[in-house]
This record gives sequence, structure tokens and C-alpha cells, in this order.
Amino acid sequence: MAVADAIYGLFPGPDSAERAVNALRDAGVAADKMVILSPEPFDQYEFTHRDHKTVMPWLAMCGGIVGGTLGFLLARFMQMAYPFPLITGGMPLVSPFPTGIVTYELTMFSAVVTTVITLLVTTGLPNWKAKVYDEEVARGMVLIGVVDPSESSRADLESRLQRAGAAKIKGTGRFAKA
Amino acid sequence: MAQKTSEQINEELLRPLQSTSLTYKLALVFFVAVVAAAGFAFSYQVNNGIGVSGLQRPVFWAFYITNFVFWIGLSHAGTLISAILRLCNATWRRPVTRCAEVITVFALSIGATFPVIHLGRPWLAFWLFPYPSERGIWPNVRSPLLWDFFAINTYLLGSVTFLLLPMLPDFALVRDHAVGFRKKVYNVLSLGWTGTPKQWHRLEMAMSIMAIAVIPVAVSVHSIVSWDFAMANVPGWHSTIFAPYFVCGAIFSGIAALIIAMALLRKFLHLEEYLLRVHFENLGKLLLVMSLLWFYFVVSERLTAWYGNEIFEMPTFWSTQRGDFSPLFWTMVLCNFLIPFPILAIKRFRTIAGCVIASIGVVIGMWLERFLIIVPSLSSKFLPYSYVTSPYRPTWVEITITCGTFAAMALLYMLFSKFVPIIAVWELKAGDPNMKVVREASLAPSAGQALPHGSEAGAD
Amino acid sequence: MARQWGMVIDLDRCTGCEACVVACRTENNIATVGDDQAGRGRAIHWLRVERYYEGDFPDVKVKFMPVMCQQCGAAPCEPVCPTFASYHTEEGLNGQVYNRCIGTRYCSNACSYNLRFFNFYNPTWEKPLDLQLNPDVSVRSVGIMEKCTFCVQRIKASEIQAESEKRPLRDGEVQPACVQSCPTKAMVFGDLNDPTSEAARLARSNRAMKLLEELGTVPQVTYLKRDSWNGAENV
Repeated sequence: MAVADAIYGLFPGPDSAERAVNALRDAGVAADKMVILSPEPFDQYEFTHRDHKTVMPWLAMCGGIVGGTLGFLLARFMQMAYPFPLITGGMPLVSPFPTGIVTYELTMFSAVVTTVITLLVTTGLPNWKAKVYDEEVARGMVLIGVVDPSESSRADLESRLQRAGAAKIKGTGRFAKA
Repeated sequence: MAQKTSEQINEELLRPLQSTSLTYKLALVFFVAVVAAAGFAFSYQVNNGIGVSGLQRPVFWAFYITNFVFWIGLSHAGTLISAILRLCNATWRRPVTRCAEVITVFALSIGATFPVIHLGRPWLAFWLFPYPSERGIWPNVRSPLLWDFFAINTYLLGSVTFLLLPMLPDFALVRDHAVGFRKKVYNVLSLGWTGTPKQWHRLEMAMSIMAIAVIPVAVSVHSIVSWDFAMANVPGWHSTIFAPYFVCGAIFSGIAALIIAMALLRKFLHLEEYLLRVHFENLGKLLLVMSLLWFYFVVSERLTAWYGNEIFEMPTFWSTQRGDFSPLFWTMVLCNFLIPFPILAIKRFRTIAGCVIASIGVVIGMWLERFLIIVPSLSSKFLPYSYVTSPYRPTWVEITITCGTFAAMALLYMLFSKFVPIIAVWELKAGDPNMKVVREASLAPSAGQALPHGSEAGAD
Repeated sequence: MARQWGMVIDLDRCTGCEACVVACRTENNIATVGDDQAGRGRAIHWLRVERYYEGDFPDVKVKFMPVMCQQCGAAPCEPVCPTFASYHTEEGLNGQVYNRCIGTRYCSNACSYNLRFFNFYNPTWEKPLDLQLNPDVSVRSVGIMEKCTFCVQRIKASEIQAESEKRPLRDGEVQPACVQSCPTKAMVFGDLNDPTSEAARLARSNRAMKLLEELGTVPQVTYLKRDSWNGAENV
């Protein structure tokens, strides 16, 4: 388990977590060294909005287009791939309606697949070797911490977390206390 | 409005995963027995031929295709509730979404077995899959059955994704409350979910995309299933109304199934504080709307058939209105409209029990409706000489398999609720208007390292 | 021009004796299903003589006509088969490929004439009846659809014979079992695309009609309506 060196505080709710994030930001902690883990999305709070906008919808659409093209080609191929034409019911050999249906279904199929793959890739899941985690998060606490802080800043960071309202302050890696 | 702490909610919603009652075990054994009987009936049929069923010329489709359409239709529960209500920002849907999505996935899986069960040579069912065979032959895309194949597979993938993605945070929740082997299993299932903002955002974005994607798929799936009938020139089938009629009927039966499932969960898992009367009332109102819509479609279809007085259509028409199938037809109207309408329209009757009674009626009525679309039309096709010889009667094989599907649904549902929280815990906490989460100040002592100072709570 | 096999049945000559039905069963290895199964509607009759009774005793009129697969030009059974077991051959026949059939039975639902038959059980022939099986025709197993093929084995045999003798196929050389056995010569089989063939000539008769033609199935079997003695048209 690649446990990182970090110190973090467990906060009982989103309000205190917000204060903590602001406090850490004031202390000059870079965004990519801050760890925020929450049991709920907390969309209404600012501290969860750190990431750049995702292009997932566009990727899903592109995936859909690719799938649709493949579906169209598959449907056309299946209707024409014979040494002699297989006529059924006096209807055209390459019928637009069935081709359209297969194209549509495969468009949606690959849009779904693309969405799932994008989700897994951008979130880095599956990743069973989490660097920082505490089971208290599952009991409703929000974890706000700093990865790999310098020794000198440690006391300052801990007091900031404390003032923001941490219920507990812990460390991992070399900051873990016996 | 109920008030609970986060941990209380966790405890209550995870309790079914941790303790099993005797009733549960007995019910499990019973359902397994029924499913096993259905499996035996199917193997008996494979060994001896379709002749063990009640099928005959010209009624070549009956119970199996009825079940097929019925279960695929039932699977529209999840889509409506989860996707449409999610897109409409109807927050009351939050405790209900996973119940609905589970119905979708299992009903779809059950429905998708029937194209194999009803085949004359089911061991060759894989020929429907487009693969380069040594015979150089590909499946016929012009056949609506192929459209079924693609549509149902796409919908199955979409529904499974729609179900599994929001389960990741809940698997993490269960993982953190479990020990030993269970912890390992749930750890794998949760894919290492930790709850960073990036993960939450991506998950919610994926869910929004899925919600938008799965609605047209669901509509297309049942339209395509309806075109299994509408594309054949059979009196009573060859009607353009079939696609909207079937989609409406599907959503109708789906909501009814959802209400029944929710009522059972509420009773047996003691979720009275989570699944409230307001949920049943809202779903009941939706059921009322669908009942009215269904009635409108039936009236339109019947009126045009009767008014047109087309020579080949009328024997089929009268056989359902006044002839051999009229008892079933009028039972269907009773179950689908005459009983649910007063129950759901009058607020005094729209209680949880009332909604459940209406829903049971709807499930029965919708099954009958599928049957009445298929068998009367096939019994009286064009040439009177080849009308049905003796009226279609199902045999024990078909009845057993039908009962087996209902038992399989119950069984799968029960197993699911034992291993996964049936109410999406994070979704509930994140915005249910009927449940306020009290952010508890004190923290339970944990096994982690604590610094000498500072375990007094900061006020929230 | 490619051949279009077709049949003409003169209902004035047909006596309803059903010799054609027996001949068809014998030629094509059609199984008998037993009276119990037949009572449940599972009898297999590739060719059947349909009877309709009109009026009450003693003024009962019987109308009958032999009906077999109409080999429709725009067959409703063909597009719906997911495995191409039902397709249109180049000589205008509706081909049923037994090996490709997985038994979805969609084709029989789509057939407007109810002319397709399903093997609900494995067909059996008690000894010594199994000795009568025609080696030119495959025996179908359980779960497979079957129907009249215009005795395609006889068509193919005659075509191969004609080709090996390096001559064209003569009109009337190909005779399906039903045509061959009809005692009143009510059935005529031939190439409808050849204007000089007997079948094509009869199909142009002013008594010609087709079964359920208004459905647009383009059937290749033409029926010649029965003339009554006093000249009134009567089917």
C-alpha cells in the first residue's frame, strides 16, 4: 500500500470543511497537494469545485458517432456480404430502415461505453491503492488534508485545521503518531 | 420531515446487509424451488420439442412471447423514475431510484431469456449474433427480431451501467463498515472509491449523460419490441399505433411494479421512514396518468378497428369484445382502468395500500393485455379455414415457466437487497427533501492514531 | 430471362379428391402427427384442400380449393426470418432452408395464408414405413419450419438432367408430385416468364384469380374460377 505522507483533519460537516479548505489555501497550500474526501457530493459548497470542466459529454458524443458509423457499416455489410443477393420479400437489398435502427442502437451502445471508459480513466478508478483514506469518511466526516507538507509548516497547518473545526487531526506515513 | 445523523442513516440502510431473518430464508428457499421447477420445465421442453407447450398452428406465439413483452415492458420502471425525474430535478425520487433501476436490470434480463426459451432450436440461438460463421451467413437485419437483439442488448448495457455507477460510493460505504472477507469483496467492487471531488463530479456528469442517453434507448426498445408484431401483416397487429401504445403500456406496468416492490421493501426492511406516503402518492399520480393514457390508446385502437369494419379485422375484433376472449378482455379493462382510476384519482384512497392494490391490478391487466394482443389475432388470421382448431390453452410447461419468471424476479431482488443497500445512501443524503441529515458534532472513537490534543469537537 | 416457377389450378376441373395431398406427403417425407396432435391443430399439410360450406341443408354448396405455399413475389414470411432460412430464390421460389431455421416461428405468423408448418415434435415413422422415405428430400427434425417447395428436388433434378443433355428444359417436363398425380389434370406447373408455356397461357385466362391478392403478396399460384353451366361466375 503506497500510503502517502500526509496530515489531515476530519470535519463533521461541509461548513467546517469549507473553512478548512479556505484556511489551507490561505496558508499557501497548492491545489494539487490538498486532499479532499467527502461521503457526499456537497455540490452547493465551493470547496468541492476545484476541477476543470470535463469534456465527458463531448467524448460520449464522439464515441456515439464512432459507434454509429461502425453500426452503419456492419448493417450494410450484413446485407450485402453474399456471393448472390439474398432477396427477402421483394424488398431492397440494403434497406434504409433496418440499417437505421442498427446504426441508432450501436450509436447509443458506444456512447454508453465511452462514458463509462471516460469515467474510469478520468477518475483513475479502479485504484485500490489509495494514497490517503480514512474510514471515518464513511461515517459522515469530511477529510481535508495536505499531502507531503514540509516539516516546518506542519504545526501551522495543524493549527489551521484545528481552528477551522476539525473533530480529529491525524497523520499518515511519516506523520503517523504511535 | 425526519431528522437523522449520517451514521444513523448508514446503520439503518445497511442493516439488511448484516442480518437475515427467518422469513427471508424461507422465502428464498421457496423462490429457488419455483425457479428450479421452471428450469426443469424448460429442459423438458428442449428435450421433447415445443410440442409440450400449448402452441399450435396458427397460434405459434403465446405465453412465451407474452412474457417476453411483459418483462421487457416492466423494465421501463427504472428509466422513467431515474432518468426522467433526474433530468426534471424532482428530488423526491432519490430514495426510489435504485429500487427502480434494479427492477429494470432484472426484468430486462428475465425478458431477454424468452427469445431463447421460445425457439424451436434454442441451442442455435447464437446465430442471432453477428459473427463470421463458417457458412458465410450473417443474421438478417431486415428482421425485427434482429432489431430486438441489438436494442435489448444496448438497453441492458445502459441499464446495468445506470445501476452500477451510483453503486460505487455505496460499495465504498459498505466496505468501510465491513470486516474480513466481505471487506475485501466490497473493496474490489468499489474500485477503490475514496470520494474526491473529481470522482464525485465525474460520476454525476456520467449519470447525467446516462440519463439523457438511456431515455431514447428505452423508448426505442419497446417500440422495436412492438414492431415484432406491427411489421407482420396480421389482422390486429399491422397497426401504426403499436409503438406508442407499447411504450405507454411499458411505462404503465413499470410504475406499477415499482410501487409493489417499494411497498414490499418498506414492509420487510422496515424502511417506513425512508419510503414515505408522499413517494407512493407521487408514483400513484404518475400511475394514474399512465392509466388514462393507456385507456386512450386502447379506445383509439378499438374505435378505428370497429369503425373501419375491415373484413379480415372484424373476426379478431369481435373475438375479444364478445367472443372467446371477451372475459379476459373485460378483466383487463377492469384491472387496468376501472379499478386503478378511482383509487388513484381520489386522494382519500391514494394511500400506500390503495396504490399497491391498484398496482397489482395493473400488473395483472398488463400481462393480459400482452396475451390479448398476440393470441386472438393469431387465432383468426385471414383464411377462415385455418382459424384455430381448438382454442389455445397453456400447458403446465408454459405455466411453470411463467411462474418461474415471477419467482426469479423476486429471488434476484431479494438477493440484491441482501448485498447492496437498496436505497442509494449518498443520493439520499445529498438532497432528499424528506430527510434532513443532522451533522453530528462528536466523533466515535476510532482505531486510527490521534494527536494528544484536539479531539474536542468544533461546532458546526 | 430468369425462370419464374408458377402453378395454375383449374377449380372447374378439381374434384377435391385429395390425391395431390397424398402424393405431396409421400414425395416430401411429411410426417403424420397422430390424431391427438392433429386435434390440437398441429397436423402438417403442405398442400391442403380447403373446404367452405355455404347455405343450409338441402341447399348446401361446397367450395373447395387446393392451397399450398403461394411462393409469393413479395412474401411477408421472408424479411422477418432472422437467420435467412426463408428467402427468395433466383427462380422465383420461396426457399426454406431447414439447416438455418432456429424455429422462431415468425414466418408462420407473418404468412397470410397459414401455409407454414412447424415440427412440434421429432417426426417418427414406424417401421416399415420408414422405408418409404424419399431419399431426395431431407427429413426435418424438431423445431424447424417447413412448407411446400414446389417439389424443388424435382425441379433441380430436371434442370440437371436437361443441362447434362445440353438441351433447354421442356415445358411440362418438371412436374411436382401434386401436378403429376391429379387425375383431372387440374394443376399445371411451368415457367410463368415463358409466354409460350402452358402455365403462363392459362394464367392469362379471363377466369384467373389469385388468393388474397389484395394483400399485395404477389402470389405465383393462379386459380381459374369455376364456371357454372349457365354461365354465371362461381368460384
